[in-house]
Amino acid sequence: MASSNMSKMWRKTIVITSVLIFFGFGVVVANLIHWQLVRGEELHASAVDQSLQSTELTPLRGTIYDATGKVLAQSASVWTVALEPNYIDQEEGDDVKIATCLSEVLGLDYEDVLEKTHQNSYFVYVKRKIETELRDEINAKIEEMEIGRGILLQEDYKRYYPYGSTASTVLGFTGTDNQGLAGLEIQYDEELTGTAGRLVSAKNAIGIDMPFQYDQYIEKNDGYNLILTIDETVQSIVEKHLAEGLEMWGALEGGTAVVMDVNTGAIIALSTKGDYNPNDPFTISEEAEAAIPEIVEEGVEDALEKEEQEINTLQLAVDTAETEEELAEAKEALESYDRMTSEDIAELRVTLEDEAYAAAQNKQWRNKAVSDTYYPGSVFKMITGSMALEENVATEETTYTCTGQWDFGGGIDPISCWNHNGHGLETFVDGICNSCNPYMIWLGQKLGRQTFFDYFEAFGFTKTTGIDLPGEASSLYYDVDGLNVVELATESFGQNFSITPIQMITAMCAVANGGYLVQPHVVDRIVDSDGNVVETTDTSYKRQVISEDVSERMTQILLRNATSESGKNGYVPGYRIAGKTGTSEKVALYWQEKAEGIDRGMQYIVSYGGYAPADDPQYALLVFYDEPQIGGASGGSQAGPIFAAIMEEILPYLGVDPQYTEEEYENLADEAPNVIGMTIGEAKQQLEEQGYGYTVVDYTGENEDEQTVYTQVPSPGASIPQGGTVALYVAEPEEESYVEVPNFVGCSLDDCNYLANISGVQIVISGSGSSGYAQGQDIAAGTRVKRGSVIKVSFVSSGGVETAGGTNAAAE
Amino acid sequence: MAQTRRSTARGLERVPRTAPVHVPDDEAASAAARRVRRRERIRYKIFTLGLGLDMPMLFLILVLLSVGLVMLFSASYAYAYYYYGNSYHFVLRQGMFAVLGVAAMLLISTFDYHHLHKFNIIVFGIAVLLLILVLVFKGTAIAPVKNGANRWINIAGLEFQPSEIAKFALILMFAHLIALYGPKMSKFRYGFLPFAGILLLIGGLIFLESHVSATLIICLIAVLMMFIGGTKMRYFVAIGSVGGVALACVLLFSDKFAYAMNRIYGWLDPFNPPEGVDTWQTVQSLYAIGSGQLLGVGIGQSRQKYLYLPEPQNDFIFAIVCEELGFIGALLVIILFALFIWRGVYISLHARDRFGMMLGLGITFQFGIQAVFNICVVTNTFPNTGISLPFFSYGGTALVMLLCEMGVLLSISRHSNIEKT
Repeated sequence: MASSNMSKMWRKTIVITSVLIFFGFGVVVANLIHWQLVRGEELHASAVDQSLQSTELTPLRGTIYDATGKVLAQSASVWTVALEPNYIDQEEGDDVKIATCLSEVLGLDYEDVLEKTHQNSYFVYVKRKIETELRDEINAKIEEMEIGRGILLQEDYKRYYPYGSTASTVLGFTGTDNQGLAGLEIQYDEELTGTAGRLVSAKNAIGIDMPFQYDQYIEKNDGYNLILTIDETVQSIVEKHLAEGLEMWGALEGGTAVVMDVNTGAIIALSTKGDYNPNDPFTISEEAEAAIPEIVEEGVEDALEKEEQEINTLQLAVDTAETEEELAEAKEALESYDRMTSEDIAELRVTLEDEAYAAAQNKQWRNKAVSDTYYPGSVFKMITGSMALEENVATEETTYTCTGQWDFGGGIDPISCWNHNGHGLETFVDGICNSCNPYMIWLGQKLGRQTFFDYFEAFGFTKTTGIDLPGEASSLYYDVDGLNVVELATESFGQNFSITPIQMITAMCAVANGGYLVQPHVVDRIVDSDGNVVETTDTSYKRQVISEDVSERMTQILLRNATSESGKNGYVPGYRIAGKTGTSEKVALYWQEKAEGIDRGMQYIVSYGGYAPADDPQYALLVFYDEPQIGGASGGSQAGPIFAAIMEEILPYLGVDPQYTEEEYENLADEAPNVIGMTIGEAKQQLEEQGYGYTVVDYTGENEDEQTVYTQVPSPGASIPQGGTVALYVAEPEEESYVEVPNFVGCSLDDCNYLANISGVQIVISGSGSSGYAQGQDIAAGTRVKRGSVIKVSFVSSGGVETAGGTNAAAE
Repeated sequence: MAQTRRSTARGLERVPRTAPVHVPDDEAASAAARRVRRRERIRYKIFTLGLGLDMPMLFLILVLLSVGLVMLFSASYAYAYYYYGNSYHFVLRQGMFAVLGVAAMLLISTFDYHHLHKFNIIVFGIAVLLLILVLVFKGTAIAPVKNGANRWINIAGLEFQPSEIAKFALILMFAHLIALYGPKMSKFRYGFLPFAGILLLIGGLIFLESHVSATLIICLIAVLMMFIGGTKMRYFVAIGSVGGVALACVLLFSDKFAYAMNRIYGWLDPFNPPEGVDTWQTVQSLYAIGSGQLLGVGIGQSRQKYLYLPEPQNDFIFAIVCEELGFIGALLVIILFALFIWRGVYISLHARDRFGMMLGLGITFQFGIQAVFNICVVTNTFPNTGISLPFFSYGGTALVMLLCEMGVLLSISRHSNIEKT
């Protein structure tokens, strides 16, 4: 019994042991095979993955420079303060210390920071983009107060725009993560951003480096720099005058001005006023902010009015119900009508306020020159005129009689000229200079819709220009099949189709530069952080629209227009400006408002487009104001003076030399003062006071100002152009400083000025005027004279000399 | 048969491997009488140092202990460094207790285990008392609540789990009773009732400490011992089905059912656990195991011990073993444990008497089951529950307790019929 019992126990034990060892461990080993050998790679990868922390190395965002190398936008190091609440040792009182430290240094609310230290989180932002000095202060405090883990200071970048609102709508701005949000910042976001680097290192679960050699460093690539065609000086001048005009004319929808190099398409300045400061892009102007309550109240009133109307309608239904059923239904509808409670209204107010704020922001961010379309109005007449000249449907002398309106016949309403009395019999030149609508309509009809549309397309009005700025609007126009007689007529004088200002100025450049439709662009080249050029914008033109001959002829007409006709407000003495005014009606808006029951009359866009100098067009400028309220809306009287003020200031800066006409010279010619015997310093002072320039010739030694003036050119009492230059010599002029007098005879005034300029002499003119040619000169051609000498050139009225200028003058 | 073997009480002589000699009945009877006489002559001595120790078992214990200490150091130093500022924090303490434990083990091995018959009721009393103390002083300094469970007791600076003592007390009590009842074990009154009562008392107390894993292990040990001891199979079937149904009902109708189900979903797919179920530890354990692959990342090179695997020195130390030593190393450790179980069973089966056998089996199974369960948890074979790995996991008093029990096993080996080397 006992032994059988024992052997039973043996057997049971052995069975149990076997099960334990073979089954228990067997399962375990099978599992180990599964996890280690089958899924080992995958799990290992996951384990490595979770321990590898990569720190992103933020690349420095590229700098934006203007054409002269001034910094327009630049990123600088700042710091982001964050907390790691889960690592804050509350038992040590670190939460209180951190809250004290940060609230003191950053001026934050102590309770708020304290609350953040208690959050159950590994990362909480406290303040972003603080300056390096503040970071140093925090670091000092951390040491001083013996704060343990918990405060994170991360490097970040902040975008600075040193010139404030200058060129803001072109530059755009960036968001908190340094991403471009508008303008060039978004257009070239990829190039400016660069590529982030990465520092990968093994960390333990609480983020401390592990003793492994896993570190891996991927270098960051800083963003590329942009060099713009925009010149900050020109831009500032443009903005100054544009803003003045904006205030002067009270333009509700702002104004815009574009300066473009007619030959390259480079945008030298582009401004939209009513813009913003990109350093603080989300803040709206005080005026805009002040207007918000009114907008909100109006919105609330509208809502209440609408409610009342709806209730009235329902009440009416009740009153007029015919059957019982209808009555019950109508009553039901009236009772169940959801009336606005005071909470609803409060909510509505908040919504409306937010909307108004957002609308104001969007408005100030908008680059009107690119994103807004308008009827170009009379400025477009230079295009219609060019078409007509190119197609030979008219020459300068072609005449037409303007009766004050254009009759289509066949029951269609006639179109009036702006001058209701009519311009009478007028030549083509007069038609343009009078800005005569019927003349243009007549030209349009003569061209026919197919030809007109072909040119319209060729001038680039049907496609966006492709300028490197975001948000370019598409134009609205009638397709060739839609160009029926009325549409063709209205389009001929620039109404009834919408284009962007940038399209208009590009087409204007084509008129100016010999017919080439250039590609407008803002970025001249892209360089990497080491200064190597990555990409250059080549000057490219899309097509030649009109011949160089027509371009020159049109320019002369526009020159005349700007000098003495409807465009003369844009005239700047000495700069031979060719220009055209434009006043367009916002017809569509007018009818739309009328339909909505708003009556504030017809609104206008006034503009002035032109370029200079007429003999060799260099720079085009288009100025326009949207909805001017003060003074009669007129491109000539409102946009014109601003155009002139801008041109007067930027052309000398851009190196366009003034060349005065005879009349101008008469006003300007003067007697040279005597500075011989003075020291150069005294002479300089005197000349400056009298408004002359000076140049010291052939002296390279030191103490220039203490030298005595030995002689001067021109001599004392001789004639000198007003504001001309007096050359000062400290010794008898050397042979090298003599120049040869050019031959002026037979040249037009412009050509004379050009010759004098390149030869190093100055001229004054005598004779009958600018509208002639040089007949003689007081010092013979080929004579060697001192540099800066004044040559008197005599002119006669134009008769037989065929020059463009002469033709133009004769047509007067 | 057995009586022809020249076994001695001390087990000093080699047992000749000869075929059983046929002995006439009368001779057999007289031999039986001699055996009885001889047994009576045995005087239990306190010290029998150096005699009859089972060297393979001692070797296995020391190898497991050494490997365990090395791995403990490797697994714990990062954790110790970050939380205690001293990389040696755990290994020094564990080493100290190991030295103490080995000394205790050798001492106890010289102590004749039959004396335990007398100590049985005292040990049992102490164990029950401690278990009750934990429940009574719950939450005080004496019985601190750790990780939401009160299974620790702190007496005079010594902190330990009374359940460790209770396990031994139960094994001792069962061995004592089985030896006492002998053939009567097949009867309900002897073979089932007293055992069930004791198990209910001890297991219930441990369960009240919310120590499910210990309850489970203690039940398993108890059932195995009763089964081997001769309790009828049908009682287990009956109690098993009643218990199973009761457990199912409790789970189904208690508010913890959803929680339990979530735990099970979390176990089935630890990488995509249901909401509210934290499988971080299991996932990290599997990452560690997987990272080891065939040959391991090399000792000391674990990545997961850098605070990813929580408390790598405790229950999940085997994951670090797998990571650092790879599949091969883990397999070797498992083989060591298998050899340990085999040798413990071998010693027990050759014990001089039923008491020694049952005691030895109880001790061997206790640590064998614990090892298997622990590795099962680490490899996500079982749902995560707190079972430590003998010889490896950190815990000074537990290690001393383990080595003391090894001392008892060695003591049994001294008296057993094994070839001694």
